[in-house]
Amino acid sequence: MPWSKAARAVTLGVALAAGASVAAHAAGTPSPAPKASATPAVSEEDQAARLLRASLRAPESISYVGQLQTIRFSTNKAVATIVRVEHLAPDRTRKWYMAPEAVYGDYTITRGITTYQVDIKHGKVFTSRNPSIENQVAASGSFGLVTKNYRPVLGDEETIAGHPTMSVLLINKYTGERAVRVWIDPRTALVLKKEQYRSNGAVAAQSRFEELRYTSAIPQDIFSTSVPAGYSKVAGRDYASPSTDLDRVRKDAGFAPVVPKYLPEGFSLTSGDVATVDGVKELHFFYSDGLRMLSLFENATGAAADFKKLKPQTIQFEGHDAQYVEDGPTTLLVWHEHGLYFALVGDLGLHDLVDIATSVVP
Amino acid sequence: MMQHLTSDTLIDYIHEELDATADAAALAHLQTCAECSAAYEAEARLNEALKTLPSAELPPMVKARIWEAVRNEQASPYARLIAFFRPAVAVPVAAALAVALYFVSPFAHRAPAGPTVDANYYLEQHAADEIGNPLGERSVSSTVLETSDAPGTAPSLGTGTAAAAALNAVE
Repeated sequence: MPWSKAARAVTLGVALAAGASVAAHAAGTPSPAPKASATPAVSEEDQAARLLRASLRAPESISYVGQLQTIRFSTNKAVATIVRVEHLAPDRTRKWYMAPEAVYGDYTITRGITTYQVDIKHGKVFTSRNPSIENQVAASGSFGLVTKNYRPVLGDEETIAGHPTMSVLLINKYTGERAVRVWIDPRTALVLKKEQYRSNGAVAAQSRFEELRYTSAIPQDIFSTSVPAGYSKVAGRDYASPSTDLDRVRKDAGFAPVVPKYLPEGFSLTSGDVATVDGVKELHFFYSDGLRMLSLFENATGAAADFKKLKPQTIQFEGHDAQYVEDGPTTLLVWHEHGLYFALVGDLGLHDLVDIATSVVP
Repeated sequence: MMQHLTSDTLIDYIHEELDATADAAALAHLQTCAECSAAYEAEARLNEALKTLPSAELPPMVKARIWEAVRNEQASPYARLIAFFRPAVAVPVAAALAVALYFVSPFAHRAPAGPTVDANYYLEQHAADEIGNPLGERSVSSTVLETSDAPGTAPSLGTGTAAAAALNAVE
């Protein structure tokens, strides 16, 4: 049943305030109340933005168990994943993979910035550390970019996994294209469903809870990171820590980097890092418009990309023989010019990536 | 963006001789490319026109003369000598050429020569940074609606992402 705008605003404000108490109850810990007003004068756009902002911090205070299904759509295929999730606020998560068959029974445990990936078929536990998980400065900045470049619009209500939700659609202010829609439980501010769209409106990826129960009664043993008997522990990749000190990053690179002269509207350079990969020093610039991300990698040591099991396709632009692979909304494009080897990764179409790559002129 | 379909691809498409992936890609391209769509229509019309033509048969006398000429053709002594040694010479030469090409030509084997960077690194580092974005596809803070970190799918790295999983699953 459609609501009147005023009734919806009042209900949403009350719901957000109520959500704080539900959150505190579910997590068993005090939770900051999302700032929401019950005043009907607040515009729907503001209400949508508040709901969205509240959703960003929800996992820090909401504990739950559930089953999550994700489908990623490429040009002519789709890949689905079904995961059993136990999340204990603020930062412990276990995901048990039920599908596809290739990863059935494998699981991951995340504690803070460290993730343990248990591969039961090969009897191995991979560990990796990713500082970006707790990069709240970047998170805050990203939300600022979102509201700068996207217009949040309250949409229809929908019941997901037995919980009523309100949807928020984010529309690109420059192109008018819809980019992402999230369905948020207003009682807890938790996102229960998300759809990401391509520029032509097609769905690029969809995630949704099939089952969900709010509870903080999750045994600590679930998150045990002790290595099972007979398993070997393997050190995985420790991801580079993104830095906003871009001058420092440029110096660390040890060569004169090249940046694109063209970026889609709304994108800006947000961070960078330098890492040594397979013995090669790789410079990495990270661009974002708040929702979509773009990574530009460069090395000056003549190291080309080795696609191994990936099956790249070839494309030519500006006289370059480039290669690319696509996965859902993400595309990787590699090429080289004047001794510099470039890799561009982004949640953009190949056409957009080629336009950006063309503007990278050493 | 896809390159235009070649004439060979169009003909194979019309005769349903492409594999399923290439067939689907060709269909998708034809639906969006006016130029290739026009070429397809022309090729299809030509194909249909050829089907309606009566099959031509050579007159019996012409065939007989051709076969007589073939039988009477005598190879020179040099040609017969070459023919005698051909297997003994050709096989080692071909093998040597293949080995030389493998080591000399950058196109003879798939992995690039010299230092390389695993392409999965680019996808994984990008995905790792996306996690820091609250509304990114792989964000942690906008719930566990993330698709990254599928385990065991990139054992060489030990940090398999959904991207790697999906791409490997295509293999």
